[in-house]
Amino acid sequence: MAAITLKVNGTTHTIELEHDRVRLAEILREQLGLTGTKVGCGVGKCGSCTVLVNGEPVTSCTLLARKADGAEILTIEGMADGAVLHPIQEAFLDAGAVQCGFCTPGLILRTYSLLRAHPTADDGQIVEMLRHHLCRCTGYEAILAAVKLSRERMQSA
Amino acid sequence: MSLRYIGKGVRRVDGADKVTGQAMFVADITVPRMLHAKVVRAGVPHARIVSLSTTEAEGMPGVHKVVTGQGCEILFGTCLWDQPPIAVDRVRHAGEPVAVVLALTEHQAEEAAKKVKVEYEPLPFLLDPVEAAKPGAPLLHEKNGSYRRVEYIVHSEAGSNIFHRYKLRKGDTEAGFAAADVVVEEHFEFPLSAHCALEPHGAICRFTQGGDIEMWASNQAPFVLRDVLADMFKIPVTRIRVRIPYLGGGFGGKSDVCIEPLVAYVASKVPGWAVKLVLSRKEVFVGSLIGRGMKGRMKIGARKDGTFIALEAEMFFSDGAYGDTSWPVVTVAGHNCTGPFEFPNCKVDSCGVYTNTPPVGAYRGYGHPEGQFMAGRLVDMLARKLGMPPADLMRKNFLCEGRKNGLGQEIKRSHGDLFACLDKVEKAIGATPLPAEDDTYLYGRGMAAMMKAPKMAANASSTAYLQLSNDGSVFINLSGIEMGQGCQTAFSQIAAEALKMPIERIRMYRDVDTQFTPWEWQTVASMQTYRGGRAIVLACERAVELLRQNASLVFDCPMEEVEYDGEACFRRSLPGNRLPVGSLARGYMFGNGLTVGTPVQTTGTYRVAGVTEPDPETGMGNAAGSWTFGVQAADIRIEKATGKIDVLHYASCFDPGRVINPVTIRGQIAGGVVQGLGAALMEKLEFGANGVARNTNFGPYRIPTVDDMPDRFTIEFIETPNPEGPFCAKPIGEHPIVAVAPTILNAIRNATGVEFTRLPVRPEDVLEALRRKEGV
Ligand code: FES
Ligand code: FES
Repeated sequence: MAAITLKVNGTTHTIELEHDRVRLAEILREQLGLTGTKVGCGVGKCGSCTVLVNGEPVTSCTLLARKADGAEILTIEGMADGAVLHPIQEAFLDAGAVQCGFCTPGLILRTYSLLRAHPTADDGQIVEMLRHHLCRCTGYEAILAAVKLSRERMQSA
Repeated sequence: MSLRYIGKGVRRVDGADKVTGQAMFVADITVPRMLHAKVVRAGVPHARIVSLSTTEAEGMPGVHKVVTGQGCEILFGTCLWDQPPIAVDRVRHAGEPVAVVLALTEHQAEEAAKKVKVEYEPLPFLLDPVEAAKPGAPLLHEKNGSYRRVEYIVHSEAGSNIFHRYKLRKGDTEAGFAAADVVVEEHFEFPLSAHCALEPHGAICRFTQGGDIEMWASNQAPFVLRDVLADMFKIPVTRIRVRIPYLGGGFGGKSDVCIEPLVAYVASKVPGWAVKLVLSRKEVFVGSLIGRGMKGRMKIGARKDGTFIALEAEMFFSDGAYGDTSWPVVTVAGHNCTGPFEFPNCKVDSCGVYTNTPPVGAYRGYGHPEGQFMAGRLVDMLARKLGMPPADLMRKNFLCEGRKNGLGQEIKRSHGDLFACLDKVEKAIGATPLPAEDDTYLYGRGMAAMMKAPKMAANASSTAYLQLSNDGSVFINLSGIEMGQGCQTAFSQIAAEALKMPIERIRMYRDVDTQFTPWEWQTVASMQTYRGGRAIVLACERAVELLRQNASLVFDCPMEEVEYDGEACFRRSLPGNRLPVGSLARGYMFGNGLTVGTPVQTTGTYRVAGVTEPDPETGMGNAAGSWTFGVQAADIRIEKATGKIDVLHYASCFDPGRVINPVTIRGQIAGGVVQGLGAALMEKLEFGANGVARNTNFGPYRIPTVDDMPDRFTIEFIETPNPEGPFCAKPIGEHPIVAVAPTILNAIRNATGVEFTRLPVRPEDVLEALRRKEGV
């Protein structure tokens, strides 16, 4: 079976694919041990498995791994700098946006991609971005607050 | 005494694990010698298995074994033993497992599962609980009534599909209704719904070749699970070890037991191997537990002045193929359908009915949303009939000091203050006038009040183990499952406060492991912070006692003279001579090594005292150990052209006794309200003409997104001290969901004049009702 190359959180890996329908999420979780990428639905509807592929948020449960050949990937494990949390991670904690935490990694990565591209994203853009994610615990109030807080902190950083 | 941590928005202790992706959930766990399981499910709602061939599947690459139910004689349960872990010769719902393929990789298991051949002889299927309860309906279980069960509490009716009937007989409803000036009566429906915790269910199980069972599971009830496994396989409880990592949400869907008996049964066929099963989302819909599913009727009678005098209700729950996880929901839905009101006369029949759907289990609110949906709507209707504002009618009948609930229990002041809750909500919602109808929108305002009491085993308790270290840091070990509700954080706050120590010195054990963590009933009924918190306070008090006792040996003085201030012990007369807590942690060691005193390791146990099961005849008794009350109101806007409903403002006020953490409690309320909006406005498990569920993934089964969140939340609290709870706190986890449906439907009535009594109310329902109204 084919092999692909991925650069994940700065490290390059060559990976054998078990079959040609393997999804990126399976590679990250099972081959690379990056289990911070969560699979909540497997059909692209909940956003839990969101990672950045060449800087773009993608649901890794639907993306065929072979289509990501050669890509640079950022997962939740690559967000903090060692033991120093990224300001977005801090903002999620401060805003009380984390309950069970299953939706959290995907949300943090999506927030990062939005704010990197649009540091002054308006509230409408934030809501638009959050539409891609389901959270059953928080009722979204604190998540919205966390993204706004992230925007503030990344601007002042 | 001023409090340092209670009432403060302390950051979550599990937060860093969760924002970095390091928090382990069951799907993240891999153990050596592990096989992956794929379940072959019935696909038909009710049938006899004519033939089952696994030969081809067994020959597929990587396949280790295919397990079927052939020869399986096990029925599992906790109070009603009616369910085999895997179908034996008959399937009773479309998601029922008929075979499980074990292979080296998930992909191999999936490919092989497609090759399992099953032939069925269809049987008539039933989805409607009212139809299924009728005499002469086809039976799902011919053995109903003769299954092993706890007869005092599970009342099965042999020869029917009613596996449990709870009856409440309080006073004389006939006389009550005869004396009533006004009566309202309606039929209601609360459909089957899915919990939709974002983490799908999973379990890993190994039968060791030495005869032990090891399990990792996404489960809220590890000790119940352990008992069930011991009973299934007839091995001592002590030979079973259950470990629970973080749970990605539970909402009741992971309580009691769910997929674990299946995984264990399969693992028992391959001793030495671990078997891992993680459900796909579709499988969570069809092959785990679902919730609600009530069809009912309620009637309320009142005097002219608004005093309630009688309530009569009948509920039929579509509880699916098996009844063990739903019978207590049926009971509590029955005795608490009165809502937070006094009715001197009540007659309630609440029936759990076998139907051909996945089994129903606990779901946030546990019967209260179903029963109080009816009461909440009828109170609104009654108020209109009486020409009284609904708030006044509620005030007239609220449970309060000296009044009695449906069970006949007398309410005390410490149980909470509904009047104050109502005042706050009225004020918050009334501060903004409701806009008048315009070209595009109708506007409406609605309100409902709620109560919830935990339904629990009468012997349910929590135990905390505390260990002080020589550096003065403290371990607390308690088997409360952290599933997002924030119990670990609340526990840390409670311990820090009780010990007067900096919270950084407190460390909760993270993973629950039945081999090491103290026995605990289960993490359900919003009881963890309440019951576990009390256990922690007791353990802390004992630790302080031991510290003072150790210090008194060092000082050679009576213990009464020793003071403790969180950092050290000292003698009142010699405050300068301080013994730091760490130096007393393992007894006190003098310079020459001589050691006096006792290592500071303590336990604390708390059980709500005096709880009994309801009397089998009257349904009354001391069945509830605590109450939490609340009131909610909403302003909504309905787009005339589309029927779309927007929630402009959602106000809640609860009386949780004491707010332990204002950030996490707000998260519980906002989350519960939005989950309740899902039930009110969109969620329903739909079945096709073939009896198979159709909307079995996110998307087709729509749950609230950020767009469905209210434009504005008011979230307030009244804190009526409850001396039973830790720092006077009461349960508050499920509560925000209970009154959402009646609140929203009352607002829809206010906006449109239409009385909806069936959930959910979707835009197309509103449009149709508006059109029908115009046509008249
Ligand atoms: S798991 Fe990928 S979107 Fe849900
Ligand atoms: S925090 Fe649990 S799903 Fe979002």
